[in-house]
Amino acid sequence: MAAEKTFDVIVIGAGHSGCEAAHIAARIGARTALVTIDTNSIGQMSCNPAIGGIAKGHLVREVDALGGIMGEVIDATGIQFRLLNRSRGPAVQSPRAQADRNLYRSEMRRRLSDTQNLSIIEGEVAEIKFNADRVTGVELAGGTIIEGRSVVLTTGTFLNGLIHVGKKTFQAGRSGEPASIKLADCIRGIGFKTGRLKTGTPPRLDGRTIDYSKFERQPGDDRPVPFSFKTESIDRRQIECSIGYTNEEVHDVIRRNLDKSPLYSGDIQGIGPRYCPSIEDKVVKFSEKSRHQIFLEPEGYDTYEVYPNGISTSMAEEVQHEFVRRISGLENVKLLRPGYAVEYDFVDPRELAGTLETKRINGLFHAGQINGTSGYEEAAGQGIVAGMNAALAALGRAPVVFDRAESYIGVMIDDLVTKGADEPYRMFTSRAEMRLSLRYDNADQRLTPLARKIGSIGDCDWEAFLKRQDQVALVKDYLQTAKVNDLDDELLRELELVGSADAYGGKRLDYLARRPDCSQQRLLEIIKTAIGNLAEESQITVAMNDLRYAGYLKDQEALVRRRGRYDDLEIPAGLEFSKISGLSSEVVQKLTRIRPRTVGQAARIPGVTPAAVSILLVMLCRS
Amino acid sequence: MFSDDTIAAISTPPGRGGIGVVRLSGPDSLNITTSFFRSESIEAGVPNRAQYGRVVDPATDELLDEVIVTYFKAPHSYTGEEVVEISAHGSPIILARILQLALMRGARLAEPGEFTFRAFFNKRIDLAQAQAVRDVINAQTQYQARVATKQLEGALSKRVTPLKDALVEVIVHLESSLEFVEDDVSPEAASSLLDKIVDVIDALTAIASSFSFGWYLKEGFDLAIVGRPNVGKSSVFNRLIGSDRAIVTELPGTTRDALYESTSISGVPVRLIDTAGIRETNDLVESIGIIRSRAAIADADISILVIDGSCLLRKEDLELLDSVPEASRIIALNKTDLPNSLDEEMFDQAGVHFAELYDNVVGISALTGSGFEELTSKIFERLSGAAATERDDIMLTDARQHAAVQEAIEQLTAARELLSRRELEEIVLLKLRGALAALGEITGETLTEDILGQIFSTFCIGK
Repeated sequence: MAAEKTFDVIVIGAGHSGCEAAHIAARIGARTALVTIDTNSIGQMSCNPAIGGIAKGHLVREVDALGGIMGEVIDATGIQFRLLNRSRGPAVQSPRAQADRNLYRSEMRRRLSDTQNLSIIEGEVAEIKFNADRVTGVELAGGTIIEGRSVVLTTGTFLNGLIHVGKKTFQAGRSGEPASIKLADCIRGIGFKTGRLKTGTPPRLDGRTIDYSKFERQPGDDRPVPFSFKTESIDRRQIECSIGYTNEEVHDVIRRNLDKSPLYSGDIQGIGPRYCPSIEDKVVKFSEKSRHQIFLEPEGYDTYEVYPNGISTSMAEEVQHEFVRRISGLENVKLLRPGYAVEYDFVDPRELAGTLETKRINGLFHAGQINGTSGYEEAAGQGIVAGMNAALAALGRAPVVFDRAESYIGVMIDDLVTKGADEPYRMFTSRAEMRLSLRYDNADQRLTPLARKIGSIGDCDWEAFLKRQDQVALVKDYLQTAKVNDLDDELLRELELVGSADAYGGKRLDYLARRPDCSQQRLLEIIKTAIGNLAEESQITVAMNDLRYAGYLKDQEALVRRRGRYDDLEIPAGLEFSKISGLSSEVVQKLTRIRPRTVGQAARIPGVTPAAVSILLVMLCRS
Repeated sequence: MFSDDTIAAISTPPGRGGIGVVRLSGPDSLNITTSFFRSESIEAGVPNRAQYGRVVDPATDELLDEVIVTYFKAPHSYTGEEVVEISAHGSPIILARILQLALMRGARLAEPGEFTFRAFFNKRIDLAQAQAVRDVINAQTQYQARVATKQLEGALSKRVTPLKDALVEVIVHLESSLEFVEDDVSPEAASSLLDKIVDVIDALTAIASSFSFGWYLKEGFDLAIVGRPNVGKSSVFNRLIGSDRAIVTELPGTTRDALYESTSISGVPVRLIDTAGIRETNDLVESIGIIRSRAAIADADISILVIDGSCLLRKEDLELLDSVPEASRIIALNKTDLPNSLDEEMFDQAGVHFAELYDNVVGISALTGSGFEELTSKIFERLSGAAATERDDIMLTDARQHAAVQEAIEQLTAARELLSRRELEEIVLLKLRGALAALGEITGETLTEDILGQIFSTFCIGK
């Protein structure tokens, strides 16, 4: 059948990675199509109605700094904002927000509809079309062919999606939405190495039947910290979440019914995340704990639906009823929908290059859960990279690869393409060697210049960035020149420093920024007074944070050097590992499959021994 | 990839031991060897059998030495290639001539470490083993061989692994408090983590302190026995080296110095400093010798000052007491078999506070051998530093491993300091991660994935 439409970039799937991919590709100037089974599900939050959290909030900030939209959408639709780890160091602080699920979806859809160069197409993609090893487009279930130079595949949990509720199973990508079976066959047909992963959700509760007096209240911050650098302030009314606990009675019900749990009967083959276990897993694996936390998260302003975070489950529906009602405060609760587990296909991310392009098919990119990740933020971070590179490739421009040392996005993608995914991959700050430098507050300083070059940052946003950059420089300059002695005694006392003033009297203010016992809030006030309106508070904070860690950056670099000693040593693309004598067949197999770009990447592949690395080094030094 | 050439080298350390080995590795090893090896039996090509015979220069028919030849068939050899080992009598000249024969018949002189390198390349050994093997080859004496063998079996790594695990535990608690602030985790308090860090530092310090001793074991130490004439220096020396006397040899010509003699004590290599020349003289040449002797004594790792306990303290004894550096000095009161004429008072009267010497005084009898066990252990105690290392305990002999342990200690000390100052967790963690990476050079790398795994099994994470 003749092609009906032609695009530079076709994005399949409109979840969190698909939306970012389509938006950024269009933004860079590629004619882009976003194909989704159901336009009403664009930007759907299939799991809990929240964005951000430690390390995840960092990712959203990075997406925003690169010209993405997740940050703006959550700022526009969030109903409770909290900056996590506020009392700890700036590098591990991160924003988190509850979203109004429906508002989030419609805001995302509105923004995409308003995006130039972007067409939204409703339809199920049945097949990826390619000629030899080059993608040519996609074919919809009805036979329509859409031609494209690049294709970004973001299938979420839809590839061969199989939902479990107790002993009941049915094919679906999400509750009530059809799975992608033909597309899954097509992917396997290409020869990609695939696997099965599993994730789950809790039952949804009717808020009108909850006794909130039995729960602790968890309010949001008084002054919400926005996700997007573009958002000046958030003044929307904030709602509260609630915290409660399971109890031994609940656990007894679960233990009694484990035989009806697909997780324990062996029905579920896919591997679930250890950091996000179902309640049955928690009860079994941590049997010594007499209670587990539950967060009641409202789904929005205008709905009584409540998301009980912490009790994701795939137990039979009647068992879910039974145990939920034994939770204090939920004795009379009405379940709106049961929880379920979903198993789905993912493609081994070692099939991908650092650009997220597959090594087998030129022009085909994978992003999000198909790469074995979990989380909206991880999905968005990959979406933006895949979208950028899909557009750059279609436009004949050079690709972009993100460095581990410069972003969490870079850490995530390097981890995925070198180590693969044994379980759904989630971002943690401890994965980043350069944790002290990869802060949420300086994501723009780290990434916006790069995005500007790529073409995803408009003039207006660029001007705003330059202004912020100047402000940071100005504050730093002030801190590095002004002397502690110049502060009046009253102010010094307010800083609550331990020890004698003689020890720091001669020092500059940046010294105070580094002292663990110095009240950073007070120091901020002092700087504000001194600088007046020459810098925004947020930029004063960035400058202080830069200085806070300045003394430890060399330790961090030493650690990176140790780890990434051979990261600059490139392995030629055509190197035949099987011809290198001295490598075990296991190592040869791994290297051949993953095809690491550098010796550093090779060294990080599990199973590649130091001896094998040495052999590679000798090989490369000789040739 | 190396199968096209054959390498050869003398694979025993230069000038040491009673037997020297010329080793060949590569496809032509056997052919090259049979061209100059004459044997009654025709079984030179049978693998893994020690074959007696003679090495004859085919050009001149000159008999060079009686040797034992062992052939190891690929891939069942040390390097994984065809290997021949020719064990000859240890003379450096004979070994050099045998090697020369091999080189004239097509072998190439091996680069330093090339045998081990090939073994490593052909996956016969791993990197850590390669290093330990190097030490085995260098082992001059049995005690060294024992320590080296222990390392080969991973004894050091076994010692360090529990310390690494303890460190990972501290990291797990600190990381959890950062990453899972929303979860119901209960990380240990800073004070308890501090205790754990201190424990690890202490244990690593003990291991690190074995390095100087381990180093002596590998490289040997310099020993001076001093004393005025007739106090029994020679008998003390003979007693000390005991059964090791048989392997006393000269150092090779290049480093040969009339001042030193090589031997070993309880299996540890020793360079004995000849102090016979220390006496008053007007002869210019001799006095240069004396100056050199004095300098050598000053540099010695251990100086045993022998004093005759059966007679009164003399002026010369006291002068020697002054001239031997205290840090390396052990005083041996010889002739305990005779009635004791020396007592503490005598020292005190001479202005020497005996009580201060006490720890370093041993009563011995070179005649009966009594007290020598104590003297020997005093020597090793001195060599191993204050932390009197148990003789059969693990020793650090490798400078790289020592540096790794030392770095881990430094990083942990910094972490302890920062933690007690209530510095930010991520900063403390930077130091702890640095320590972990350093220990990884001994135990193998600990990946972030391993730490996360530990977190998930310690705490119930997940909303």
